[in-house]
Amino acid sequence: MAFYNRNSILNSMIVGRPIINLRSITRGLRHLLKEYASQGIVPFLIGFGFFLQGCGLVFDAVEMVHPLAPHELSAICSRGQVRVGISVEPFRPFVFPAVYTDEGVRVTGLDVELIREVAEALTTYCGGQKPVVPTLHLTRFRDLFIEMNEGHLDLFVSSVGGNVPGARPVGLWYSIPYFHNDGVGAMIQNPEVAERVRAQFQHQAGHADTLAAIQAGLSGLTVAAQKGRTSHLYAEANLKNIRLLICDSLPAAVETKDPRIDVILSTHSILDYVTKHVWPDWHLLTRNDGTPLILTQEYFSIVTVEEHGRLQWFLNNLLYRLEESGRLEQMRRRWVEEDYAPTRRAATEGLPFEVSKVPDHYDQGQCRFATGR
Amino acid sequence: MLMKSRALLFISLSLVCFLMWSSIGWAQAPREEIEITAQHLATLLNVGRLIIERNQTLINDSRIGNKGFTPEVFEHEVVDEFIGQTQIDLKHLPSHLPSLATELLPVLLQSSKEVVADAQFVINQRGIGYKNFIPATFGSQAARKFSNRSHVKIKQTTLNPRNLKNTPDAYEENVLKRLATQPALNTSIIEWINNDTTLRALTPIYYSQDCLACHGNPRGILDISGYPREGAQEGDLAGAISIQIPMKSR
Repeated sequence: MAFYNRNSILNSMIVGRPIINLRSITRGLRHLLKEYASQGIVPFLIGFGFFLQGCGLVFDAVEMVHPLAPHELSAICSRGQVRVGISVEPFRPFVFPAVYTDEGVRVTGLDVELIREVAEALTTYCGGQKPVVPTLHLTRFRDLFIEMNEGHLDLFVSSVGGNVPGARPVGLWYSIPYFHNDGVGAMIQNPEVAERVRAQFQHQAGHADTLAAIQAGLSGLTVAAQKGRTSHLYAEANLKNIRLLICDSLPAAVETKDPRIDVILSTHSILDYVTKHVWPDWHLLTRNDGTPLILTQEYFSIVTVEEHGRLQWFLNNLLYRLEESGRLEQMRRRWVEEDYAPTRRAATEGLPFEVSKVPDHYDQGQCRFATGR
Repeated sequence: MLMKSRALLFISLSLVCFLMWSSIGWAQAPREEIEITAQHLATLLNVGRLIIERNQTLINDSRIGNKGFTPEVFEHEVVDEFIGQTQIDLKHLPSHLPSLATELLPVLLQSSKEVVADAQFVINQRGIGYKNFIPATFGSQAARKFSNRSHVKIKQTTLNPRNLKNTPDAYEENVLKRLATQPALNTSIIEWINNDTTLRALTPIYYSQDCLACHGNPRGILDISGYPREGAQEGDLAGAISIQIPMKSR
C-alpha cells in the first residue's frame, strides 16, 4: 500500500504538476476502505463520517460500494459524446496539422481513424439509436495528461508510448497496444554525424552492446527531443554525455538554428514520414547495414484514468477485436505505407474539433538546454 | 346623356388600364429586384474568394504565427473591393438598392467573416505551410453558412467537382456545358424556371494564372492537396457560382 508513487517525480516532469498529488492520497484511502469493507469497518466509518462536516472521502467510499452516479460508459451514452484529447503538435502520420476543408476545419491521421472506431463501437454499445460523437480537444501534448487528470477528457490518443519507463503519470491507465513495433529513432542533417555513429557501431562489432555504441556515437553531440515524449525520457535516462535540447515540438527542433542540432530523436515512424514528406533535408540515422537505427522499442496506447474500469475493458476488448480482424494492420498500412495526400483524407474522413479548446495561436514553441543533468 | 355615358366608359377603361399597368408593374418589380440581388450576391462571394486568393501567400507562410488576417481585415478588404467593382458601399448600403439585396448582402458578408474567423486557428499555425484555406474551400463554407440563414441557396459548382457536394444539378450541368463551349462571359446567366417561380443564376468563374498551380498541368498528377490536376489553361471555365431564389418566399 503506497500513498505516493515512486514515478511521481518523473510524472511531475511530464505534466508539470506538484509531486504531492491529492488524487493519489484519495486513491490510497479508497484502497484501504476497500480492503476493510469485508470486516464491517466501512459501515462504522460511514456512520462516523456523518459526524464529520465536509468529509468527501467517506462519500467517495460509499459510492465505490454502491455507485450513486452512472458509470463512465453510461455517462458517455447519455451525453452522446465522447471527449477525446489529441495533441495539437503534429505527429504525422498519427496526427496531421489541422487543415481547412470544404466542411470546415478538420484533423486527420491514424489516431483520428482510431478515434472514429472507438466512437462507432460506443454507438453500438449505447444502443445505436443516436451516434456517439467524438468531441476532439486539440491540446498541447504536455497538457493532455493534466486535462485527463482533471476530468475534462474521457480518453486521449496521441501516439503515446504504453511501455516506456517513467512515462505513466499517477492516476492514468494505458490500454493494450494499438500500434506495435515502433520505437525511438533519430534523424540527422549532417552526413558526418551518421559516419561518426556508424564508426562506433563498427568499433563495437562483436560486442553487440547497442546501448554502449549509441552512447559513444552520440557523445558530445547536441541532441534534441520533445518534452515529455519517449525520446526525451530515453535521453534523460540513457544518454548522459550529450548536450540535450528539450523542444516544445518536433517542428521547433527542426527550425532551431542556434544552437545547431546534430541529432533529433523522436518516434521512428514519425521520423520516417517527415524525412520522406516534410523535411527532405533531414535523413534517418541508419546502422551500418542501412537499416534504421532504433534506440528502444515502444508501442502506443490509448490513455484514460484509472477509475474508469468499464471504459478500460471496453477499449481493450475493442483493440483486441480490431487486432484480430486485421483492422489495426489495415490502418497501419493506410497511414504508414501508402502514398496519400493528408489534406484530401482530412476532407473526406477528418474530424472537426472544438476550436474553443485549442490554443489561440498555435506556436510550435522553442528549444532550450536541459538543466540539472 | 350620351356624353355622360361616354365619359363614364372612358374613365372606366382608363381605370382598368391603369390597374392592369400597375399590377404588371408590381409583378415585375420583385423579379427585377431578385435578379439584381442575385448578381450582387454572386459578386460578393466572388470578391471574398478574390481576397483569399490575394492573401494566399500570407496565409501559407509557415514562418509567421499570427498573420493578422483577421475577420475584420478581411471585411475591410472585401468592402473596398466591392466598392471598386460595384460602387456600392457595403457599410452604407444606398437607398436605391433593392430591399432584398439590402437584406441579404449583410448576411453574406457576415457569413464570409465567420468563415475567416473559424479558420483563424488554421491560418495562424506557425511551421505549417499549405493549410487548404483557399478560395474554393472558403467559398463552399461561406455559401453554406449563408444558405442556412436565408431562403436563398448559393453553391459553387463545376462539371468535374473535387467535392461531390458541389456536383451540379441537371439545370446547372446544362448551363455549365453551354458556358464551357462559349467565349468567356463577364455577366451572369439568369433565368426564371418552374413557371417563373424560381430564379436560377449562374455566374461563371474562369481559371486565372494562380489557379493553375493546382488545376493546370501536368494533368492527372496530384497537386499539393492530393487531387489530380485537371490540365486546365488560363481562361478555361473553372465552374460557376449558382444562385437559386424562389419568388414565393418574398
